[in-house]
Amino acid sequence: MTATARYRHLFTPLRVGPVVVPNRIVFSAHLTNYAQDGLPSEQHAAYYAARAAGGAGLIVTEEHSTHPTDWPYEKLIHGFHPEVIPGYRRITEAVHRHGTPIFAQINHNGGQASSMYSRLPVWAASPVGDPLFREVPKEVDRREIAEIVAGYALVAEHCKAGGFDGIELQCSHSSIVRGFLSPAVNVRSDEYGGSLGNRARLLLQITAAVREAIGRDLALGVRLCGDELIEGGTTIDDAVEVARMVEGQGLTDYVNTSIGVATASLFMIEASMQVPPGYALFIPSALRKAIDLPVVGVGRFKDPVQADRALAEGHCDLVGVVRGQIADADFAAKARAGQVDDIRLCLSCNQECVGRMGLNRWLGCIENPRTGREAHDDRVEAAVGAAGASVRLGVKPKKVVVVGAGPAGLQAASSATRQGHSVVVLEREDRPGGQVIGAASVPSRAEFGDLVRNQVRDCRQLGVEIRCGVVADRDVVLALEPDVVVVATGAEPQRPYWAPEGATTIVDVRDVVEGRAWPTGRVVVVDELGFHQATSVAELLADRGCEVTVTTPGMVVGQDLGITLDLEHWQVKAAAKGIGQRTDLVPMSWDGAQLGLLHHPTGQMVDIACDWVVLAVPPRPMEELYHELAAVPGARLRVHRAGDCVAPRRAHAAVIEGERAGELV
Amino acid sequence: MKLLEPLVLRGRTARNRIVFGPHETNLGRSRSVSDRHVAYYRRRAVGGAGIVVIEEASVHPSDWPYERCPSATASVDGWRAVAGACRAEGALVLAALGHSGGQGSSAYSQAPLWAPSRVPEVNTREVPKWMEPADVRAVVDGFGEAARLAARAGVDGVEVNAGQHSLIRQFLSGLTNHRTDEWGQDKLRFACEVLTAVRRGAGDEVIVGLRLSCDELAPWAGITPDTAVEVALGLADLVDYVTVVRGSIYTVSATRPDCHTEPGFNVDLARAVTDAVGGRVAVIAQGSIVDPAMAEEAVAAGVCVAVEMTRAQIADPDLARKVAAGEAHLVRPCILCNQACQVRDARNPIVSCVVEPSSGHEWEDPPLDGTAVSPADVFVVGGGVAGLETARVAASRGHRVTLAEATDHLGGMVRVASRGAGRDRLALAADWLESECDRLGVKVETAREVTAEELDGVAGEVVLCTGSRAGRRTYEVDGGAAVLSAAEALADIAALPEGPVVVWDPIGGPIGISVVEALRALGRDVHLVTPDLIAGNELSRTGDLAPANVRLQAAGARLERRSLLRRVRTGAVDVEDRFTGASRTIGAAVTIDAGYRLPDDALWRASGEHLPRAGDAVAPRTIHEAVLEARRRVLELETRA
Repeated sequence: MTATARYRHLFTPLRVGPVVVPNRIVFSAHLTNYAQDGLPSEQHAAYYAARAAGGAGLIVTEEHSTHPTDWPYEKLIHGFHPEVIPGYRRITEAVHRHGTPIFAQINHNGGQASSMYSRLPVWAASPVGDPLFREVPKEVDRREIAEIVAGYALVAEHCKAGGFDGIELQCSHSSIVRGFLSPAVNVRSDEYGGSLGNRARLLLQITAAVREAIGRDLALGVRLCGDELIEGGTTIDDAVEVARMVEGQGLTDYVNTSIGVATASLFMIEASMQVPPGYALFIPSALRKAIDLPVVGVGRFKDPVQADRALAEGHCDLVGVVRGQIADADFAAKARAGQVDDIRLCLSCNQECVGRMGLNRWLGCIENPRTGREAHDDRVEAAVGAAGASVRLGVKPKKVVVVGAGPAGLQAASSATRQGHSVVVLEREDRPGGQVIGAASVPSRAEFGDLVRNQVRDCRQLGVEIRCGVVADRDVVLALEPDVVVVATGAEPQRPYWAPEGATTIVDVRDVVEGRAWPTGRVVVVDELGFHQATSVAELLADRGCEVTVTTPGMVVGQDLGITLDLEHWQVKAAAKGIGQRTDLVPMSWDGAQLGLLHHPTGQMVDIACDWVVLAVPPRPMEELYHELAAVPGARLRVHRAGDCVAPRRAHAAVIEGERAGELV
Repeated sequence: MKLLEPLVLRGRTARNRIVFGPHETNLGRSRSVSDRHVAYYRRRAVGGAGIVVIEEASVHPSDWPYERCPSATASVDGWRAVAGACRAEGALVLAALGHSGGQGSSAYSQAPLWAPSRVPEVNTREVPKWMEPADVRAVVDGFGEAARLAARAGVDGVEVNAGQHSLIRQFLSGLTNHRTDEWGQDKLRFACEVLTAVRRGAGDEVIVGLRLSCDELAPWAGITPDTAVEVALGLADLVDYVTVVRGSIYTVSATRPDCHTEPGFNVDLARAVTDAVGGRVAVIAQGSIVDPAMAEEAVAAGVCVAVEMTRAQIADPDLARKVAAGEAHLVRPCILCNQACQVRDARNPIVSCVVEPSSGHEWEDPPLDGTAVSPADVFVVGGGVAGLETARVAASRGHRVTLAEATDHLGGMVRVASRGAGRDRLALAADWLESECDRLGVKVETAREVTAEELDGVAGEVVLCTGSRAGRRTYEVDGGAAVLSAAEALADIAALPEGPVVVWDPIGGPIGISVVEALRALGRDVHLVTPDLIAGNELSRTGDLAPANVRLQAAGARLERRSLLRRVRTGAVDVEDRFTGASRTIGAAVTIDAGYRLPDDALWRASGEHLPRAGDAVAPRTIHEAVLEARRRVLELETRA
């Protein structure tokens, strides 16, 4: 079946003002932390160019700040400095080389910022402290409002000079314009506060100034929030009305949408796998009914079929696919070529994209080690697009044995094969996937399993042989006469000192999710990992009717769920399922009926009566095979290792090390 | 003064015993010691410091603990530049060298952490790779090579870190070294190998110092003062000095605590080390020693031969020069708030200081010293920090300054905040500003309300520093229910009505916590209501997050987390669970609102919305912004005049 038959809408062009967008897949704006000293970097150009090469219909860059008072995070592009223009040109030239249009998003974050970097008062409609930054902003006066408007116009001029095809105004989830629009944070009594018309005044002044600055050759878009999901905030009716005002002004070419406030309800902007795909479609749908301008829909679009359906059903004219194209830069090209199964599906795990943003680190991807490294990568890809048999040329092929088919081993296998080597993977269990299989067996974590699905697909495409059910000891490996061995044997559960030998009702999370243990009754889950392990198993057991309490020595159960935006979902579900949470507790003893814990802030002992204890604690690396093979005499055999058998960590570490081990071959 | 006597280490003479110790600054560019470092350290050398120790550099690629942590190989030019700049001003310059081991970060290197044993990092829970013999040798070689590079760059010495965030301490400690091989059987072995390599790399002419954690505050397996003495004895012959510090993986915030810990907390520890090894090696003391008198006492009493006064010289770069000139009373005091100088934070804040915001910004901020070309009459309204700093700077630059304060005393909100538990040092900031204004001849008029009409008649420049007022209530209040702002409560906390108290803290900063603690100290029944999952959610930067939560729980404060205050009734409040919406009622005779305040901008509005403002009158924030804006207003009025 051809792509046009499979997708009736996705690959049709669309006119957006003066720009013709070749297909409906938008790489919409998102932070990357790729900026250096306030300037766009080479990495920016390489990153966007990779998505242009991969077939995106339209790219919208991350925001460029319009004023020195706006510096909420360190690696922000300061669009108001003319020095940005050469960097803009580098980006637009790289993207235009692939025939892809690219718009610049420009913004002032308003009160959703701190003065830490700028050393200037934060500017906003009203002196209302932001829930994330917690700094009272300065209420801007009329002169400052004029300065804000002029800043947008100036940056728009810089963008025009930098070769962009359009400008998008982020007025939606972290913006001074959003702050003026929102009755939750605009309490002004002048002509910029009160009625919706007054609150939208700044927006319409900015669209007018920007259009004046860019003329009619560039497209102009406005991104609006359809529901702030906060008390007293903007809702869909306001958004529809503002969209009508924007259209009525006659200066704007398209409307983009979003949901939530970045500093209050971010977990619904960059929703994790716990939120159904397409959850925000009601917003473009409502706007599209009210206005004739093209409308962009966003919200966890991760496969092209779903994107096409949103278009077919009339919810939107364009579809934002961000994380889908972070995970696979060739998302659009593969869809167009009818190779939908070859797309490396985004997991919506948020670990290395969203999760790194909040920590001031460059954007990456748990399953795509090239993301964030596009400009640093000197590897030669023989083919772009479908993985196919693309292999590096001119390398003397070696015989590689990979032991272990978890994320590290599978990545090492595909990486080494791409280098032109011949690879066999030996896996002890009856199917590949390692710990991911159990982790993804919990209903709300099912999409995490796509990590392995994608890796196995990649390996199959490349002709990697995966032998399951093989216990690979030293002799088994050596009998295959490899040139290189990559040991990726993972880690095994380990019992803490206080758990008595032979206590059968103390088990590891993996014993539960892998079906070896079946706790019942009152269960305490001990969270010493701070991530999904404890909370997932707690939910699973509560669903099975157990009475569950999660304890942690830390201040919060599942502390790192905040980084991936899963914390709010966990709190809501834990309450609904009656799961208890107790903090600051260090487990010390177990007598078969009571778990004894030390409340470390007060030094008091606490006993919790329970039937089972489930441990989410660090496992032990299975490193023996590596040391045995490394000790094999003779210089011929090279041994590398990757993933949890080096040190037990999270999946991204396994993938990165697997990739590196494959390259080292 | 003993503190001012020269100190000879390995034939090199420091002009006095005041050390600017190593600390994270985020002044680096990429991973190198930068021009910004040069300006920062030169300023302390100009200010009279005897020894300047440069921010620690990592000695091996396996260590990248924070994004802008210098690496030794990338820092040679920077070391040379700092050494040149500071030595020209009379200070000795040392390069700090280290490896964070399992306390590092894998986020930047995307490689496993290296550590003696697989003990997870406490906050990230990351499990390190157990170092194999080849890894150990590589790091030892890295130390040696880094020392060689530093010596070649022309520094006077190197300081090796076995204090907080250090692989060497992790090898020395039973908390983190569970090895059974030669590095486990002899926990000093790694440190000896490193120091031997460092001496070999640095040569015999260069000072080698050791920063040593002498109390891990975890006696079940950690280094204790007793075992530390053994360690010091074992390593003494390999080094020229030992700087005594404390802390472990479990007590990171105890190494450089804020004002909740008594200044000079390590003095006894330093004395114990001096008693044991003082005859063989120089001992340097540190630990919130910010007062020159305390430093002098420590040296005079033989506790140590020199004193690290790091935060004190961030607060006043001229500390040593003033002490030497007999003007110790003019030193701008460090208030040990840790709000701007503690920068080990993913956001990469640049080191600075709330009372001296030019710290860390020496490379970009205009100088304040000097005299205005045309002295003006300056009228400052408001005697809080912003007003006092405006008056102080204006007077120091030769302007004729009058300051009008509505109340009968100076210091504004800082005096109020200083009544919160553990925050009394805040008042020192106000005291110093008051005495400086007095010394510089500022005409102060207290109990003077200023009206817009009066301002019309003022000849010269006006700066409004009118501070803040109580904020907007985000909850319902029934008639007759008692609600006080935190400021009102702190004004006379002993006078609150009888009965249980609820403190509503939507900010999570130091104020709400200090009100709760002050009330518990009076034996009051207190509930802290916070929307966050952690009380004092914003305190991690200052290092007081975990300590504050320990103090609150030890004191028996009731923590109502993840809760929103919805309604204050007579005798009770209604709160709502932030995630589930479930509501519950808590008894409260009085409710204290520690939330956001609003600018007191009535005079600014009444006078035509054009007069320059500084501090909380612009937007209620911290001392830092008030001082910074005050300085800018003075420099601006000179360009206008």
